[in-house]
Amino acid sequence: MTDGESAAASNPVLYVVRPMATAARQFAKSLVRPSTIVYPFERLEDPQFRGEVAVAAGKPIGVGAIWDNYRGVHALNVATCISCNLCAFSCPDLCIEMVTVPGGDPKHPKKCPEIDYGKCSYCGFCSDACPEGCLTMTTRYELATAKRAEMVYSPAKLYEVFQHKLPMNPIRLERPANEDAILLDPPLCIGCNACARDCPTQCITMLDVPKPEAKPGEKLPKRIWKEPVVNDSDCVRCGTCISVCPKECLFWGGRA
Amino acid sequence: MSQVTLYSVAYTLSDDLLRAIGSVLPASARSWVTSSDAVTALALLVFGAILLAASMINTIVLIWWERKLLGRFMDRRGAMHVGYAGLLQNFADGLKLFRKHTFRPREADSLGFYFGPTAYLATSMMIFGLLPISSGWNAGAIPLTLLLALAIFSFAPLFIFVSAWSSNNKYSLMGGMRSAAQMIAYEVPLLLAVVAVIIVAGSFDLTTIVYEQQNYWFWGPLVVALIVFVAGMLAEMERIPFDLPEAEAELVEGWNTEYGGMLFAFFMLADYLRALVGSILVVLLFLGGWTLPSWVPGSLTSFPLAGIVWFMVKTYLVFGLFVWVRAALPRVRTDQLLRVGWNRMIPLALLSVFLAAVLVTVRCVPVFGCVPSPGV
Repeated sequence: MTDGESAAASNPVLYVVRPMATAARQFAKSLVRPSTIVYPFERLEDPQFRGEVAVAAGKPIGVGAIWDNYRGVHALNVATCISCNLCAFSCPDLCIEMVTVPGGDPKHPKKCPEIDYGKCSYCGFCSDACPEGCLTMTTRYELATAKRAEMVYSPAKLYEVFQHKLPMNPIRLERPANEDAILLDPPLCIGCNACARDCPTQCITMLDVPKPEAKPGEKLPKRIWKEPVVNDSDCVRCGTCISVCPKECLFWGGRA
Repeated sequence: MSQVTLYSVAYTLSDDLLRAIGSVLPASARSWVTSSDAVTALALLVFGAILLAASMINTIVLIWWERKLLGRFMDRRGAMHVGYAGLLQNFADGLKLFRKHTFRPREADSLGFYFGPTAYLATSMMIFGLLPISSGWNAGAIPLTLLLALAIFSFAPLFIFVSAWSSNNKYSLMGGMRSAAQMIAYEVPLLLAVVAVIIVAGSFDLTTIVYEQQNYWFWGPLVVALIVFVAGMLAEMERIPFDLPEAEAELVEGWNTEYGGMLFAFFMLADYLRALVGSILVVLLFLGGWTLPSWVPGSLTSFPLAGIVWFMVKTYLVFGLFVWVRAALPRVRTDQLLRVGWNRMIPLALLSVFLAAVLVTVRCVPVFGCVPSPGV
């Protein structure tokens, strides 16, 4: 036992007494209450644990910090949803499908997002994209289901989450001022009214355009002599008009 | 019989049972059924059944006790949900293991593979039966109980090595070899520590050893022997810090790698049964067994079965010490283990034997009082 390592290894105070004392201290401390939270019966978000969570996080928290920016299950206010499809459009996982919900007219059914949590990555882009603020993320994190099909949350179920009035996480990025506007390529338009009909915010109005004089030998295009005009302040940039345009004459362009 | 012993309980039970059966039988059969030979035969069976049940239930409760204590040492709660405070959790785990398919590797040696765990558990049960839990509450009132118990205790390396070798797995074999080396290294100081107790008590009979501790418990004057004995017991029980043969992380449970289902449960039960036996031996040899010091008020010692109750309290507290050690200390290396065993424990054990001899010679210790004359 000449080398220092061996001498240290058989030092009973260092290797036996001190660890035993540490363990005894821990035992005495946790006899009152161990640090574990008995999860299904107690939750970290319970008021009595907020202080402990603050200590663990190393910074003071109040209502609205740490917990309330958690991105959990979505809440959907079906009443204010305008069926703009932006959530489904922005979803990187393609987990949002727009499904018909009661409340629309037969010609223009109301469609709200149905979210498949088997695919969702909780990025919050949909909540960010929602122009009406009706799709938000809540702090609800319990998503365990018995069947895979139960992971798909219908609009009704998302509305149920909304009704619980959980702390919402409003992920809303400021939109850039020079955001694209809807532009029209007039020669292609046939004035079919599809864009105005499907616009979720009814910000498109069809205005008359003068019917040009036909030159001799020239055949005027067969069309309705109207053109869409977008009310830029009401437009939510959902692109529905662009996707429904049969002639592809609407397009994204720089702000006029 | 004035004193209630385990055998008297078993005899009364079987006597009552056979009388009840005999009362509905015709006279010729009744005389045969209620004869003293039949009663004795049944009493022996009941006796064995009680010991079996006691050993198994104690073992399972001991696992619960370890889980709860270890939980608090680790700042958590341990088993909580099945039964009161998780008391039935281990019974549920046992049932799960019981239902499992017992799987034997194709290349494993069948005889050794099944013989190892069975013999390991059976010998552990034998030791439990030998140790008196209270006066008269053991299987054999033979004068050399302690020697026999320790002899059976030292069978374990053989069975572990047999089961490890017959598993035909290099990790198992490695674990088995470590186990054998460790147990042999710690057998010597363990027995020398026991020798110190035997010198002071002047008897191999555990009941006598307990009654020799009426003036003072042996842990005080023989504290060196106690330390050596506890360390040796930790090594014999293969508990942390001396759990190299199992070494969960490095040897994938060591010599029981290839065992699953009920055979694994055999090992598990035997391990904890041996832990129980170790705790019982510490209580018997050093902590006064089922007796309490004379300053304890009589109301605490006079209720029925008080001896067993206090004995069990002491045993579980001693096992709590083992759990404490497990919670605090890391696993040692093989070379450290063997060095501590041969270089430290054996000199300490010899010192304790010397101290015991001095104690017997001077007969009186200032704080603790006098030893009764040996061999009374």
